[in-house]
Amino acid sequence: MARLIMFHGRECPHCKKMMPLVEKLEQETGVVFEKREIWHDEANADLMRSFRPIIAAKCGGQLRVPTFLKVETNDVMCGEVDYDKLKAWAAGPAS
Amino acid sequence: MKKRYWRCFVCNDIHYGIAPPELCPTCKVLNAYVEITAEEARKILGGGTNGAFTPADFRAAIERFASGQEFMVNPDEGKVETLLGGIFENEKNHGFKFCPCRLRTKDWEEDLKLICPCHFTIHETYKGVPDGECWCGLFVRRK
Repeated sequence: MARLIMFHGRECPHCKKMMPLVEKLEQETGVVFEKREIWHDEANADLMRSFRPIIAAKCGGQLRVPTFLKVETNDVMCGEVDYDKLKAWAAGPAS
Repeated sequence: MKKRYWRCFVCNDIHYGIAPPELCPTCKVLNAYVEITAEEARKILGGGTNGAFTPADFRAAIERFASGQEFMVNPDEGKVETLLGGIFENEKNHGFKFCPCRLRTKDWEEDLKLICPCHFTIHETYKGVPDGECWCGLFVRRK
């Protein structure tokens, strides 16, 4: 199974909105996201920084949250999206 | 060009920039600024603190900042409350009022761009977008 990471912030409204959609997707399809909170956990922050060239290239040059990452393929999606888009991204090939 | 610190020799206003203002905005004296070190600036600014700056104070400050602009503070009170909580958590834990929806890189110049309010009017989430907002949604384009 592909390694999927969701980088999120505890006080980020977009992340709060995406979290139930991620959990619904996990329940419905069996995919699992590593949920990494980046403002209150420095190890998670460092992990996100380690992907900075990959993430920033797709996210306006910055490390934004929420960011979704497929580690094996470096496929990145950032920001708030609807459920269908999230599902398609998680299931689809790297763009 | 690198920004430096400047002090008004009349009223001790501090300016951080490539060059000092010609006219001191506080005492209105012309050509009053002299360059100082970052340490001197910190000492002067630190001594001038006037007590706690609460989320309510910051809220009032950004309301004044947005007044008359093409943007305003998001009318969604729940979102604003969440964001102000994050901004103040970040100040407590990381030293500045960093945006809760982006991560600092540990590059000083880059991270200064994350201090709220950031220069969001040039960001693709706002510039040229009819319903534009800053990345975190604290500021939205005024209808």
